Amino acid sequence: MLFLAHLLGASVVGKQGEPVGTLHDLVLRIDQSLYPPISGLVVSDRGRSFYVPATHLDQLNGKVQLNSTTIDLKAFRRRDGEVLLGRDVLDHQIIDITGRRLVRVNDVQLAPVEGIIRVVGVDISPQALMRRLAPRILAEKIIGRQIINWADAQYLASAAPVQLKVSYDRLAEMNPVDLARIVDALSFRESAELVAGLDDETAAETLEEVSDERLADLLEEMDQERAADLLEEMTPSAAADILEDLDENVAEGLLARMEPEEAADVQSLLAYDEDSVGRILTTDYVTIAYGATVADALDRLRSLDEPPDPLLAIYLTEPLARDTERLLGVVRLRQLLISDPRTPLAEIVEDDVPSVHPDDRAEEAARLLAEYNLLAVPVIADDRFIGIVTVDDALAVLLPEIWQRRGARVFG
Amino acid sequence: MADTISNEQPAPRPRQRRGLRPYLLALGPGLLAASAGNDAGGIATYASAGAEYGYGLLWAMVAVTVCVGVVQEMSARLGAVTGKGFSDLVRENFPLRMTALIMLTLLLANYGIIASEFVGIAAAAELFGVSRYIAVPAAALLIWMLITRGSYANVERVFLLLTFGFFAYIAAAFLAKPDWMEVGRAVVQPQIAFNPGYLLILTAIVGTTISPYMQLYVQSSVVEKDLPLDDYRYTRFDVIAGTLSAGVVAAFIMIATAATLFPRGITIASAADAALALEPVAGPYARVLFGFGLLGASLLAAGVLPLATTYMLSEAFGFERGVSRSWEEAPVFLGIFTALIVLGALPALIPGLPLFDVLVGVYVLNGLLLPIELFAILALIGNRELMGEHRNGRVHNVVAWTIAGLVSLLSLTLIIVTVLGWFGVSFA
Repeated sequence: MLFLAHLLGASVVGKQGEPVGTLHDLVLRIDQSLYPPISGLVVSDRGRSFYVPATHLDQLNGKVQLNSTTIDLKAFRRRDGEVLLGRDVLDHQIIDITGRRLVRVNDVQLAPVEGIIRVVGVDISPQALMRRLAPRILAEKIIGRQIINWADAQYLASAAPVQLKVSYDRLAEMNPVDLARIVDALSFRESAELVAGLDDETAAETLEEVSDERLADLLEEMDQERAADLLEEMTPSAAADILEDLDENVAEGLLARMEPEEAADVQSLLAYDEDSVGRILTTDYVTIAYGATVADALDRLRSLDEPPDPLLAIYLTEPLARDTERLLGVVRLRQLLISDPRTPLAEIVEDDVPSVHPDDRAEEAARLLAEYNLLAVPVIADDRFIGIVTVDDALAVLLPEIWQRRGARVFG
Repeated sequence: MADTISNEQPAPRPRQRRGLRPYLLALGPGLLAASAGNDAGGIATYASAGAEYGYGLLWAMVAVTVCVGVVQEMSARLGAVTGKGFSDLVRENFPLRMTALIMLTLLLANYGIIASEFVGIAAAAELFGVSRYIAVPAAALLIWMLITRGSYANVERVFLLLTFGFFAYIAAAFLAKPDWMEVGRAVVQPQIAFNPGYLLILTAIVGTTISPYMQLYVQSSVVEKDLPLDDYRYTRFDVIAGTLSAGVVAAFIMIATAATLFPRGITIASAADAALALEPVAGPYARVLFGFGLLGASLLAAGVLPLATTYMLSEAFGFERGVSRSWEEAPVFLGIFTALIVLGALPALIPGLPLFDVLVGVYVLNGLLLPIELFAILALIGNRELMGEHRNGRVHNVVAWTIAGLVSLLSLTLIIVTVLGWFGVSFA
């Protein structure tokens, strides 16, 4: 087991054991590999530091020995794509993907893999800190490590002062809520860099959970074309809430850049008050004609490219003028599943469900959901069926703000 | 056609900033950070200085305000250029042992201030005839609950409003009809005495006016608010305006007590004495005005400081952080936070503690620890890799290093004079 804290400052010797200098740092080449390789050593001798390619390294265990007596003493210069392990990784923050948190690197674990020394993990234990703080004699008595596999760690490119191509793809596996908490905990610049590296879908899901202040800053400062793309990815009501918090000029600019269809959805939501039903309703639901059977309904659901999520019920409607529909009743998914496929929907429909008006306060919808034990309540305006409020959207209104923006920093 | 043209235009700058307006809009973090310096300990220190030495320390107030401006500006610049908070920068740019030393001094300094805020709460409570054995534990519990429940932001404004009572000192200074010629002379004519008492109060003034947490605060708000570097001049304006306004309030507290208490030979031993100076303005309500001001300032800082200190340590050492986390998720974070409040409240409960002396004493400690933080800031701001072209210019560097040198000299002198005093050597 090789650990960086142990190696830094060790004396570097040539093939015959003649002193060359002390190990100042290790150069890491960030590439596509899961465990990036050490490409060279920075050796310092009397105030000068020079670069020794990893190919000249004979062994790294116990002492640092080179495999030749004559080495070309090239002065060390920083290059793009290369990271200094001691300067840019040790003591910096990384994301622990499986642990879903931001951690500091207290030590770095190295291992030879088929002859090449690679970074395989980072130690985040307090013991690793204590070992580095304590005098050398005591340090060896401190045991205990907490290693994060490098494959489960996300390095942030902003930690190094060089151009780096760091892939953030692995973050897509994380829950957006956890990722958002990390975006909030990072400094603005680090968070902007991270969001820029995420794919649109992950970025949009994450941003929906990020604190309002951080979100506004991120959207205002990022490429506006991308910001518009991300808003399109979000649910219209999330996008509407976000746009309302932005600088007016920025919000208008973003709406103009969005696809007309998505922009129109968002704009129609913006017509309602922030705490109203109109703002939290979703238009993502399935309707079917009154005369259909259970089998028709199931077929219809299966034929959809993207069925609503959550899928709670199917709504029986009849057409009104100009693309609008009147709600006649609701068939809950449960009924649909347990009924004989040939049953006409009219037999299992609930036709006296309560409804809300888009101008009603969102709490009113939440109250109805609780009182009637519903998972969704339809929204009716002037006899037209315009949307539903689901229980989780209503819940978000009821929860105190702390829950929506947990992890937001006061300062630190 | 119009569409194609608009698509090729670069994204418009989000905020159009011209003229005076952007400067006014930028007022915020710098102003708040500097005003936070006028907390319980600050008021106690300035009032004591005026009551004991008359106008004799006014020059120091001016000099220290300049120092604050220089230091605060450097902190704001560190944040604007690097996009990182102080803890991050220290951990990532200093050897680990140095990081531990810097964090330890900041922890000590902040702990002292937290304790002083609870002493302030105790002093304010006793002005209203409430026992501190009730007020201090109640305040500690209130703050702990407000912060962990996340409702602190709602009451913060109330606390802030209470502190406006201190503006009465400006009116009090005028009503006391001081000899303005004499005041003016005192401002420009430095006088130094080498006795421990004078050096102590001088160090306390330095310690309370240049508090490390003000630098931490201003830097992190610059980082959090994402103030673009092109607009840095507005941030600088905010920092300087904040420093000036806080300096003016502090100077007027000193003038008010110098004009009212100094001639009558009243030195400040309690909050009631400090409130006396407000009598020309508020008459019988002087105590109430002062009491509320003290309570507001103390609660405000006692609410923010434990949290700020906990964040500072957690970021430097990588503990899981966030007040809304459970004990299982973030045991160290919540542990440090709770310990700071509990241990911070304890000193105020020691029977017979001379409250006002403790307040001043805390800032002496702060002044003594200050050089370590100042040299850390100087090392960071001179780091070419971090700051590039935004490092200090030559003149700026000379000024900044001189300030750090003078503050260190003052600390050293105080230590030497005090130690010599133990052996009976005195310079009086």
